[in-house]
Amino acid sequence: MSLRAARILTGTYLVLMVIFVTWPGMVPFARIRPLILGLPFSFAWVAGWVLGALFVLVALDRVESRHREDD
Amino acid sequence: MERWILVSIIIGVYLAVTLTIGLLAGRRQSHSVAGYVAGDRSFGLLVMYFVTGASVFSAFAFLGGPGWAYSRGAAAFYILAYGAVGMAPFYWIGPRISSLGRRHGYVTQAQLLVGRFPSRSLSTLIALLSLIAFVPYITLQMRGAGIVIETVTDGNIPLWLGALVAYGIVIVYVLGAGVMAVGWTNTFQGIFMVVIAWTLGLYLPTKMYGGVGAMFERIAEFRPELLIPPGLDASGEPWSWGAYSSLILVSMVGLMMWPHLFMKAFAAKDDDTMRRTVILFPTFQLFLVPVFLIGFAGVLFPQSPPAPDFILPFMVLETGLPPLVVGLFCAGALSASMSTGDALLHAAASVVVEDGIGPYKKLTDHQQRLLMRALVLLVGAAAYVAALDPDSSLVLLLATAYGIISQFAPTVVAGLYWKRATTAGALWGLVAGAVTAVFFWANPELKPFQIHEGILGLLVHVPVLVAVSLATPRQPDRHLTRFFSRAPSEATPPGSTPADAEGTAPPEVDGDTGPGSLPHAAR
Repeated sequence: MSLRAARILTGTYLVLMVIFVTWPGMVPFARIRPLILGLPFSFAWVAGWVLGALFVLVALDRVESRHREDD
Repeated sequence: MERWILVSIIIGVYLAVTLTIGLLAGRRQSHSVAGYVAGDRSFGLLVMYFVTGASVFSAFAFLGGPGWAYSRGAAAFYILAYGAVGMAPFYWIGPRISSLGRRHGYVTQAQLLVGRFPSRSLSTLIALLSLIAFVPYITLQMRGAGIVIETVTDGNIPLWLGALVAYGIVIVYVLGAGVMAVGWTNTFQGIFMVVIAWTLGLYLPTKMYGGVGAMFERIAEFRPELLIPPGLDASGEPWSWGAYSSLILVSMVGLMMWPHLFMKAFAAKDDDTMRRTVILFPTFQLFLVPVFLIGFAGVLFPQSPPAPDFILPFMVLETGLPPLVVGLFCAGALSASMSTGDALLHAAASVVVEDGIGPYKKLTDHQQRLLMRALVLLVGAAAYVAALDPDSSLVLLLATAYGIISQFAPTVVAGLYWKRATTAGALWGLVAGAVTAVFFWANPELKPFQIHEGILGLLVHVPVLVAVSLATPRQPDRHLTRFFSRAPSEATPPGSTPADAEGTAPPEVDGDTGPGSLPHAAR
């Protein structure tokens, strides 16, 4: 993946995360059921976005470090 | 032997270990300001990771977090939501700050900003605002330490004594060794906190309800309002989406603007270290999940603690855990408080000396270190006095401080990425933003949709910064080239250590770009 694409994707994920963990993006997901891994849905929803951020950032780092080696 | 005595012994051993690590670490560092403030720029990944994580996770997360989950339910999720996004931009900004720091010899946030926007007024303003934000934050940590010790010793060690002992130790190693001590003790304390939090977070719901899912089924049955975002406000009424969302936003913007975190960029060994710290940061966020579970475990418990902030130590005691576990837990919570407190004290002293006094009076390296130590004591004492006030609330203290701290964000971004930004723009933007934030903090009933005063400040800050910058002459190319160039500046000849450059870097403030404030507007 190109550096540009990786940065745009990461940025998009972070912007979506901001929208979906605050008003208005979170409103449809502000509920208790179904429980996910025992957690209320809204709790798991926020935790899921944080976990996703970890994967996105690790992926970004792989692309970025490959490009730094090319320099 | 009585339980509280055994617990006190375990805590004592823990504190002794922390003190030893702190003092040993300090022996390896050079006796320069760069050594004291930026650890000779030598932090590797392990230390950086825990320094950052442990500095972010404070008594606020460890006691305030469960306290919120317990009393305000889903409102606590805001603490989980902001960190990852707040930290992510540092993947790019961090290495940039770090390379500017190495090239020009900067060790504080204000030095970097004043390097771009030469103005002593700006430097003083940043030092002043940082200090205003730091004191309540340090107060929160001390109070947290006191709360934990008082609760688990059944009141035999009162809050004032517990806070005094814990922070006496912090002050000893911060005075003795500076940032290296902070780094190594945080590594130790960080590991400790993670282990304790996960163990207790899974143990309590299982023991009391038979599992995490079973616990939430019960809460959903009896207190469903707690589990639906944005949760409840302090009085138990449903909270507003405006307050919830804007608190997340202001925390995202403000998180890395805290001088004690920002300055870690100057302490990193290399850029890869810092980038890795950023990408691993969400793992530290997820550590809030078990911390919240502890708070939720208390919701349906028949007895209640004296205040929500006490819920964590309260649950640990009420569920009849063995004294060893209680002692270890207490040490974990103390870690959270002390590992943030030490970083805060250290940063507050560094900022006041480097940015508040440095531009006006040239001090030798030796004098600066002495003055910093005096300030560590002074700021510590001020925060301690405030911590004894029984009416102060952990969460309120931090939320207020964020309103001020977030105002640094536009200045940093403009300083690093917007070449058309001018000194006048940066200065007036910051003044306008801070004044707005303070105004709405003092008049909360005027806030539209209960939006956090920090966000309202930013809404004024950014237009003022842009408008004043465009209305004043652009900065001379020579200045911009020197600031942004990849080559080392004249102030830092190749081969010199950052410590050598320390004495020569500040003159940029009153160098060829004009002395005092607003040099470009005046021209």
